[in-house]
Amino acid sequence: MNMIQSIIFLIASMVAISGFYIQGIEFIIANIRGQSIQSILIASLSFIMGFLERSLDLIILGIMVVILRVILINYFLERTIPKKRKFSVEKYLSVPYLLIVDLIFIVLSVILIYKFVFSSMILRESIAPSNILVFPLITFFQGMFLIASRKSTHTQIIGYVEEENAMILFGIFLLPIPLIIEASIFLDVLALVVISSIIVLEKNEHNPVEDLIG
Amino acid sequence: MEETLLLETISQVLFTLLMAPLFSGIMVKLKANVESRKGPSIFQPYFDLIKLFKKEILIPSTSGIFFKIGPYLSFSIYLFISFLIPVLIPTPVIFTASADFLGGALLFSTASFIKALAAFDSGSNYAKLGASRIMSFNFLAEGTLITVFFAVSILTGTNNPYTTIELLTSNPLSDLSLLHLFSLIAFFMLFLFETGKIPLESKGVQELGMIDSSLNFEYSGKLLALNEWGSYMKQYLLGSVLLNVFLFPWGLFSGVPFFLIDIPIMFLKWMILIIIITVIETSLAKLRLFRIIDYLTVAFTFSVLFLILTEVISV
Amino acid sequence: MIFNNTALPILILLVPAVASITFKWGNIKLATAISGIIEIFLSILLYIDKPAPGVFFIDNISVLFIFMVTSVYFLSSLYSIKYFSHHDIYISNDLYFLLFNLFTISMLFTLEINNFGLMWVGIESTTISSALLIITERNETSLEAAWRYIIIVSAGVTFAFISIILIYYVTGTLTMSTLINSSFKSKFLVLAVAISLMGFGTKSGVFPVHTWLPDAHSEAPSPVSAMFSGVLLPVALYVIYRIYEIYPLKTVYVWIATLSIVMAAIFLIYQDKYKRMFAYSTMENMNIALIGFALGGPGIVGALILLLSHSFSKAGAFYSSGNILRLTKSKKIDDVNGLYKNSPITAIALLFSSFGASGTPPFGSFFGEIIIFFSLYQQHFLVPFILVIISVISVFISINFNVTKMTFEDGKNNSKIDRTMEIIALISSIVPLAIGGYILILMGGLV
Repeated sequence: MNMIQSIIFLIASMVAISGFYIQGIEFIIANIRGQSIQSILIASLSFIMGFLERSLDLIILGIMVVILRVILINYFLERTIPKKRKFSVEKYLSVPYLLIVDLIFIVLSVILIYKFVFSSMILRESIAPSNILVFPLITFFQGMFLIASRKSTHTQIIGYVEEENAMILFGIFLLPIPLIIEASIFLDVLALVVISSIIVLEKNEHNPVEDLIG
Repeated sequence: MEETLLLETISQVLFTLLMAPLFSGIMVKLKANVESRKGPSIFQPYFDLIKLFKKEILIPSTSGIFFKIGPYLSFSIYLFISFLIPVLIPTPVIFTASADFLGGALLFSTASFIKALAAFDSGSNYAKLGASRIMSFNFLAEGTLITVFFAVSILTGTNNPYTTIELLTSNPLSDLSLLHLFSLIAFFMLFLFETGKIPLESKGVQELGMIDSSLNFEYSGKLLALNEWGSYMKQYLLGSVLLNVFLFPWGLFSGVPFFLIDIPIMFLKWMILIIIITVIETSLAKLRLFRIIDYLTVAFTFSVLFLILTEVISV
Repeated sequence: MIFNNTALPILILLVPAVASITFKWGNIKLATAISGIIEIFLSILLYIDKPAPGVFFIDNISVLFIFMVTSVYFLSSLYSIKYFSHHDIYISNDLYFLLFNLFTISMLFTLEINNFGLMWVGIESTTISSALLIITERNETSLEAAWRYIIIVSAGVTFAFISIILIYYVTGTLTMSTLINSSFKSKFLVLAVAISLMGFGTKSGVFPVHTWLPDAHSEAPSPVSAMFSGVLLPVALYVIYRIYEIYPLKTVYVWIATLSIVMAAIFLIYQDKYKRMFAYSTMENMNIALIGFALGGPGIVGALILLLSHSFSKAGAFYSSGNILRLTKSKKIDDVNGLYKNSPITAIALLFSSFGASGTPPFGSFFGEIIIFFSLYQQHFLVPFILVIISVISVFISINFNVTKMTFEDGKNNSKIDRTMEIIALISSIVPLAIGGYILILMGGLV
């Protein structure tokens, strides 16, 4: 790999690592910031690849990611946290346990899926070696694990946005998705976050409910 | 050839033995200077050791046999490790083939285990406190140590520390960028834990959060001197592994008389490490005890992630 | 014909949009009802005059689905006007109808468009527009149910996006009409089809990821539940079917659908709330239709008959449940007694709907199921055949046992409900009978 490829590799791995950061942090506002870090990394990847391939689509994609994911989603989610409780912490969280279970989960799923399924995919040459697909896969599973392991509504929303981020990364590496579809995806996610912000105002924690069993 | 080898071996072991307290002294003095204090002289650890060797040994009546032989054992293990790891000379010396990276990691854990066991054997409450604390954190620390060493071995295809250095110096840096970075971070975090730096532990006897210092609580005289010297050597060995395998593998020579150049080069490298450690120590606050496990989990996560990525990516 | 070829599908999408614009002027209820009638008429017109594949792709199957959506839309909008007329709800009436219209537009959009990526977008937008509808009557459990719906369905549909990326990667195009008629072979296509079953199956009631179904259906108000069961799940099934056509994985689909049917039957036995019971029956019917689609040939015909009659019966079932809820204020089966004496129309509607939903003879769903079972047997899927028949029989017994318990036992209820609501429920439950009768006549004519 030459220099550019190493940089792309490095940034993609940072995306996966920021997933671990989001998993391990207790403050809810840090979760939201962590997700915007992820989106910034993805946008920068999109810009780099757009410059490399001279493709306007990717650059526009990067700009859209920045506007929609970083700015707007942050705005909507932060509005729902009351000012006084800016440093609210999710209760009863044991970080080491979650991190280690997350690690095991990712190791199993990524190794199984990557080795058996995706390793024969060939990406667009000269951009990155094809095993860079591991990173979107790691991020996707981390999003799933985040939703499954947490009770707070905000964090579950962030888990969903993380999954969508992984999809975008997947799409960027694999092939250029037509712009109109990417645009609609972004707007969808935005609308979902808006809706969720309404729900989040009402209900902050999710515990098993008696009526809904069975 | 034989004399070269012998000379190199002796110089490596003597360097470890004699220079380790010096580095600790420099670290303390530099930190004091940064904090606008004058600080003790850089040779203070030597003076302390000499003083301790002259004092009498007091043994608590509740202690067992292990209390007495513990310090000798751990000291000799550290001395032995200095043969195995390229802390001064980049080519194998005598006794190198006794253990590889994994063996080195296991020897480190044996030494800490013996120390904890000896402290436990002393029958004193503070020492038992320290022993239980260190046992409850060690499972992640040892896991990280072993995993990081494994990962480096997978990366360079060899288990021998000396060959690893050669391979690392001969490959261009960009080949190792990502995976090397992860393992570096993991090992650095582990280094801070094992040598008891802030943010994990603070020196001083009045600290209720002490871990390592409390293991030495009941020792006096020659035994205490051996324990302290052992910790200095452990710090030197781990730091040298960090420098020579992870951070700057270059710059070491072998063969007469070039290996004498290694001594100032090691000094230089250690200065850089000391500066980094001082910056970290003076800018962070100590973590609360239950947070230490979070810290170690992060280090462990990095190292396992590194291992997985090495396997999956196989770059 | 009068309309240009592509104008008709666009018109179908625009009519509810126009109705929603009257949101500001407070006439949205009436506008929605009128747009419902217009939509039914337009969909029949669409059957006669289909545009060529371009931006839109309409064939007979799409037209049937569009007709289903528009009919249930009309019935639900009428029912909603009456259902909410005397009650305070959390979101305002106008907002409810606005979201209702948006929901319908997104479903119609998914059915009409010729591009898989945009179909994915359509499914996501149905989630968005229907999420707030669940919390119409605001209480703790409905918030929890709405949240589960959002998160589980969105996560599943995001998973399905991988399959769309894979399809694009292998074939280089996302246009449905070219993909269906071509034959690509690649292991990634196999992966894509399997992933889309699990991904879109989240919205359609496939086994491991159906868990939001009973919660959302029992907590949402009845007209919304009717839309969910009657048309939203079939639309997701439509998308699964279209992706299936690219590379038919018959065995996988049949076995997973069988597993879902068995699990639905098991869960249904333990239910003690009538809305959840109907929700599980929806899950069972959807999976039977999935088997029909997967088998192909006459199976597709059977699936279409089943889906058409099921949407009307299930809508009728949920309308009757809404009536019962207004009557007795309880969601449990045990608290509902003696419907036959107090409100005979509701009782008849409930009985007919549950017969229709469980596949009793002269109703249309029976014929659909028979055709599907026959194809199952013919294509030598013997174990699924036996399992599915056992499950269907047990579901039949459970539902009808509960429903007759509700209808015929003695009890006293004194409140009255609005005639119109009852009549809507009755109409909706009789349509499958009509469909079944029509098929009988057809078969009689053939024989």
